Amino acid sequence: MNFKSSVGITPDWAYNNWDPANTDQQIEMYYENFYNAGVYYEGRTPQVSSERALAQLNKRFNKHGYTFSAPDHSINSLTVGGDRAGQYFDWEDALFRTAVYQTYDLSVSGASETTNYYTSIAYTKENGRVTTNDFDRITGRVNLTQKVGKIAEFATNINIANSNKTGFNDTRNLGGNPFLQVRNLMWGMYWPTDYQTDEPYTARYGSYAYNPLYYDEQWDNYSKTLRLSASESVSIKFTPDLTFKSILSYDNSNTRDHLYYSPVHYNGSSANGRVIEMNTIVNKLVSSSTLNFNKDFADKHNVGILIGWEAEENKVDYVRAEGSDLPTTALTTVNTAGVLDANAYYWGSTMLSFLSRAEYNYDNKYYVSGSFRRDGSSRLGPDTRWGNFWSVAGSWRIDREPFMANADIISSLRLRASYGVNGTLPSSNYGWRSLTTYRNKYMELPGGAISTVADASLSWETSYTSNIALEFGLMDQRITGTIEYFNRDSKDLLQDVPISRVTGFYSTLQNIGEINNKGIEIELYGDIIKTQDLTWSAGITASHTSSTVTKLYGGQNIIWWEPTGGDSRTKFIYKEGESTLAIYGKEWAGVEDETGKNLWFLNNDETPDLTVDGRPATYDHNKVDEIILGDVHPTLFGGINTNLDWKGLSVGLGFIYKIGGNTYDAFSRDVAEDGYYWERIMSQEQYDNRWTPENKTASLPMRVAVDLTDALQRSSRHMHPADYIRLKSVNVGYTIPKNIVSKLAISNARVYFTGMNLWTWAKHDTYDPEVNEYGSKGWEIPIGKTYTFGIELTF
Amino acid sequence: MKKFKIIFAIIGIVLLTWSCEDFLDVKPSNSADSGTSITTANDAKVIINGIMRNMASSSYYGRNFILYGDTKGGDFAIRSQGRGYDGLYTFNHSQTSGNYGSFWAQMYHCILQLNTLIKNIQVMEDEGNGSDLLSEYKGQALTARALIYFDLVRLYGKPYNMDKTAYGVPLILEPLDAKDQPLRATVDVVYQQIVTDLQAGEPLLSKSNRKGFLNYYANLAIQSRVYLHMDNFGAALTAAETIINDGAYDLYTNDKWENSWANEFGSESIFELAMYENEANLGSSSLGYYLLKLRKVTGASGWFMASDYYLDRLGEDASDIRWAIMDEDETSEAGSERFGSCMKYVGGHEMKGDKGGAASATNIKVIRLSEIYLIAAEAALRKSSPDMTKAANYLNEIRKRAPGLVPATAATVSLEMIMDEKSKELFAEGHRYWDMLRLGWEIEFNDDFIDPVVSIPHREKTIDRSFYKTILPIPQDEIDANPPIGEQQNPGY
Repeated sequence: MNFKSSVGITPDWAYNNWDPANTDQQIEMYYENFYNAGVYYEGRTPQVSSERALAQLNKRFNKHGYTFSAPDHSINSLTVGGDRAGQYFDWEDALFRTAVYQTYDLSVSGASETTNYYTSIAYTKENGRVTTNDFDRITGRVNLTQKVGKIAEFATNINIANSNKTGFNDTRNLGGNPFLQVRNLMWGMYWPTDYQTDEPYTARYGSYAYNPLYYDEQWDNYSKTLRLSASESVSIKFTPDLTFKSILSYDNSNTRDHLYYSPVHYNGSSANGRVIEMNTIVNKLVSSSTLNFNKDFADKHNVGILIGWEAEENKVDYVRAEGSDLPTTALTTVNTAGVLDANAYYWGSTMLSFLSRAEYNYDNKYYVSGSFRRDGSSRLGPDTRWGNFWSVAGSWRIDREPFMANADIISSLRLRASYGVNGTLPSSNYGWRSLTTYRNKYMELPGGAISTVADASLSWETSYTSNIALEFGLMDQRITGTIEYFNRDSKDLLQDVPISRVTGFYSTLQNIGEINNKGIEIELYGDIIKTQDLTWSAGITASHTSSTVTKLYGGQNIIWWEPTGGDSRTKFIYKEGESTLAIYGKEWAGVEDETGKNLWFLNNDETPDLTVDGRPATYDHNKVDEIILGDVHPTLFGGINTNLDWKGLSVGLGFIYKIGGNTYDAFSRDVAEDGYYWERIMSQEQYDNRWTPENKTASLPMRVAVDLTDALQRSSRHMHPADYIRLKSVNVGYTIPKNIVSKLAISNARVYFTGMNLWTWAKHDTYDPEVNEYGSKGWEIPIGKTYTFGIELTF
Repeated sequence: MKKFKIIFAIIGIVLLTWSCEDFLDVKPSNSADSGTSITTANDAKVIINGIMRNMASSSYYGRNFILYGDTKGGDFAIRSQGRGYDGLYTFNHSQTSGNYGSFWAQMYHCILQLNTLIKNIQVMEDEGNGSDLLSEYKGQALTARALIYFDLVRLYGKPYNMDKTAYGVPLILEPLDAKDQPLRATVDVVYQQIVTDLQAGEPLLSKSNRKGFLNYYANLAIQSRVYLHMDNFGAALTAAETIINDGAYDLYTNDKWENSWANEFGSESIFELAMYENEANLGSSSLGYYLLKLRKVTGASGWFMASDYYLDRLGEDASDIRWAIMDEDETSEAGSERFGSCMKYVGGHEMKGDKGGAASATNIKVIRLSEIYLIAAEAALRKSSPDMTKAANYLNEIRKRAPGLVPATAATVSLEMIMDEKSKELFAEGHRYWDMLRLGWEIEFNDDFIDPVVSIPHREKTIDRSFYKTILPIPQDEIDANPPIGEQQNPGY
């Protein structure tokens, strides 16, 4: 019997995330934005420009209890007065808290001649960093294997989990995303209460945000999920060499979502209150049967053959009921509503596979295997849905060769290689079908429209992978390692390609071309010190991969957008010979020292306005051509870890690192935008690095309220080096000596501490360097530093 | 025994893979194969419903297209910047930002549906399965296609009477292949097709009132608008007079005018796009809410209000009935009231829409009889042998809504008078800018109304149609997917 429990806290983010400037600096930037517009663009005197800037400040913030003046008509004399002068509200403190995460797990396991069992029950509770986010889950599990008769064995695994979640996490949704609010929208001068009446402030703030402390009381949501997975398998040993096994597994997840906006909430006011109930049932049924033959011949030969088949069915069922125009804020059910709306439908996919495998080894020294499978999927059309995939592999235990008997320093040495073909399906269930959908009802009559244009001959994306690796161990396995090389050619790459809007659609799913991925990975691990009581070991992994587009079937380059959050963060291009993640955009040439203006490299034959570093450049970004700016893929990446074990104490550190490559910053178009969005707050980086007459060599341009769209362009201004190293985990554990715990009928007791993301160094230090697969960072809730204490007991 | 079991298993597997094609044929539960989804008259009707709904989307008549026609015409003003669509007012357009590419995308999406429908109806008729209903749907589709191309060519191409050899928009009359990269046709070619489609659709349409859909008179109304834009005043007058004389629609009397905004499908509505609460309704993002005074109700944005120029024009007669639909705007104070907020899209002062429900669920009156009278007046005035009496009579039918003003006579009637009347009557209905462009008149903006005062860097205070930003750029997304069209970008961008 085992009992485990842990409690973790996340008090803060793991790294900078475009931390905002303080409120006095925000006020300075706001004044300066209009002052600069007057003086540098509109030909007005400093006095008039200052008056216009102060008029803006006063108009926006007098109603919150602040007044502004600048007696000498310049930023140096800018003074904040008024009833609330000197006091600012800390929104970050109000909307975020220290997250607390707890887990408790109790399990019992045992075995007898015929029966093996394992049961457990676990409870997890998380109060997230965002004050509205909470989660809890209770899980129960039973695993049982039972021998019946001499040849049959049954195994049953059942897992049930019930979880509840409240709050949500958007990327760029203004109203809902608290992270965007505190970094970009909520001035320290906005208070949750009106300074004259002391009532909650309910009007929209100038920056388009609403008072979250008031409105978070006016809406409600939860998501409850009950998940059941059960699998039953039977295996029959016809002979000692021939086994038949059949598995049936069923996975059912039933989620109930509830969302309510009161008539007072800005999302519910126009409809006089709104409540939405949704029910999503996700079902997965898998049935597979295999026949396995395994025999040793003449004590040296071992042969294994497997054949089988598998069928899989996935289905999602969705029902939604919505009510609006609610009679009272006391009742939040659809039953009470005046206006009703509903939706229900289902979708899914199926797959059928035939599998086979043959293995042979001689004397546990030489291994050879091959496999063949044939898969058919509903996600492709009848002509292309079946794919044949195979592989061959071999390995050689060099250390077991006679000629290696004397090489004592080498304790293990294995060479392995393989070549195989496998396939990837489109992620869309009906991607090959051109469809008419009926979501366009009009005047309460059904309305249809063609919604997708598809390629009926859409096919599997196939990858041809070869790899070869050498695994070694030296000095009695004191040092172990692997060197591996792989090469993968993928044909018929599946991608949503943007097409001319004149066709009536934005994009279509096609097999667009071929890419190649190849790389080397090295792993090394060794015990630096190894004595009776003390072991200190360390290891490193390093990978170098390159990923290029080798062919595009249409012959034309494909420009595509990063799909994360539907926010069009990064623009990429597929071009033959270039990286698969080639960032595409305009090339920024920095800031002109004398004027603080944006400079751009032309990259075409238009007449330049000036030259920068000997290359033709211009002030007007509309004249420049877009080029490939950089590659997301790094030169080298991997991890470093080290462990120290002394008596019962163990200490481990794990680092992850990345060298080379680029990230794309999707924040700065909001928080360092040269003065485009007047009403928003800006980052510390924007304040420190903006051009001013006193700081002419600044790295960011002058802020000026004339709607400069330079900062909004996809360009190298927002592309930064991706190099970083992070102490991902720290583990300190202590196993309490047996002589102490045995007195309490405990056979094993261990206490531990884990810290995650505690230290980071990044070459570009304005935002967290751990980015998504496309190399970008935006308004998703960031990673935090976590401190966890735990205990494990075995009875 | 063992061998049998093995053979059994193998046969079973082989049989399984062959007989389970049905298992792998998973169809969506809510969509049909688009190639075979239009085979009956009922299917055609369902597609027509979908097209109307798509035309009522926020990216087209549901909001943006109406805003476009008024924010740029000089009769709208903004109080402060940084509020949503003020980019339309300030002409903040470039190929990459503020290009309003949703017009291009949504309108071509509608055209795809129309082309597919027309093609499928043709197939049914060729097979001998035609019917009166199918003919009517075909007529509606041809008319809708003409209207959409008319709107597209005015958004992206130079005015017809300014330079009809300039680039218009890609003219597509058949569903395209996904990989096609179409190029722009000239303004002239597009207008010719518009006229062809309207004339082909005219005899197929019903004269009955098809509430929420197009009919014979809507077709004629669009014809009169198009001919007016082509400076073909004779044809414009003929089309307009047919509508007026057939008597299927009646002008609102002065006492009924205000109430007409709180009801759907009134006697003047020749073509009205329905806005139902659970359909195209935009809630606090609706046109109605954008025109409401700031903070009048939760979510009211007050983004646009009447300019001083409009209010002066309306103020020529303090008893003008059109004052009834205007409400105080955010600058209004006791003693110096300003009625710049327009209530046409919230159902009047009651704010219950035009169905007695949500304020924002108010239909868009795309074509009203009042506009037809004013088109007739202008056409009669400007045709090759002007009929001043007719012009004055048609004008007066609308001008009498300002009872304090002297009616026009054959001697006093003028284009300025007609345009002033059009401005007063059709305020916030998306017409002013198009009229100013086609007439080539100067447009002056009420920039001094913005408080605190800021300068607008993207345009001058007074512009005319020689300013390159009076038409939109081909959006960057289109050029990225269709590079050849990048060579045909509008000048200046």
